[in-house]
Amino acid sequence: MNLITGIDVTADALEAQKTRLDIVAQNIANAQTTRTDKGGPYQRQVVSFATELLRRSDDTSVQTVKVASITPDPTPGQQVYNPQHPDAGPDGMVTMPNVNLAYEMVDLITASRAYEANLSFAKNARNLAMKTLDIGK
Amino acid sequence: MVDPIFSSEIYQLAGKLMDASALRQDAIAANLANAETPGYRRMDVSPDFAAQLKASAESGSLADAPNPTLVEDPNARAVRADGNNVEIEHELLAMNQSSVEYEYEANIVTSNIKQLKMAISGQVSAS
Repeated sequence: MNLITGIDVTADALEAQKTRLDIVAQNIANAQTTRTDKGGPYQRQVVSFATELLRRSDDTSVQTVKVASITPDPTPGQQVYNPQHPDAGPDGMVTMPNVNLAYEMVDLITASRAYEANLSFAKNARNLAMKTLDIGK
Repeated sequence: MVDPIFSSEIYQLAGKLMDASALRQDAIAANLANAETPGYRRMDVSPDFAAQLKASAESGSLADAPNPTLVEDPNARAVRADGNNVEIEHELLAMNQSSVEYEYEANIVTSNIKQLKMAISGQVSAS
């Protein structure tokens, strides 16, 4: 048993939420990117989580979290008429990335709130560990 | 004379309850971590533990009481569309409740040890 209970699970959760924040940053940064290595406009990336069984040395197990996949969102991007754009087709239409800033902001806030919830657990676990060390004093 | 103090009913009971509270903290950590994992079901200390502990306390065989285990919470409400039933607010409240319980149980253990110290030294300890 750990002295600080559950801290290993919380560490994984913070890591997973941080990955999600990174991907949100990437999506917002590329909201106007019409040219990528693969050709075509930037495609919004979506993070998904999965549980992972964490078996400890004392034979207890607990379900931690990991990033299952980072996959591109297949929704087609918006077509904008802009014949001056270097990536415009012969008809003057440009395919913009399928990033919706409103969705990204919602994701950003959800991820940071989840991060805070896990962080508050870490603080609480520390206080309990200090209490444990005070037993008998 | 020392042995009966550490095997006293209240001391052992507090120890078992501390195990359960620490395990519940583990479960809450896992629940918070998986608050957005599709299909995850919240975990909690097995509800049988309280009944088993009560039974062994009544029969005076606390040393044989089982250790708490984690199971999927059978009383969880609110399943979201993705099959996950974790509510962050509920978890944070449970975390606070479990911490208070843990501190209370730790205080019981401490006061037991203090009584022993007082009996040995004949003095009330300073702190």
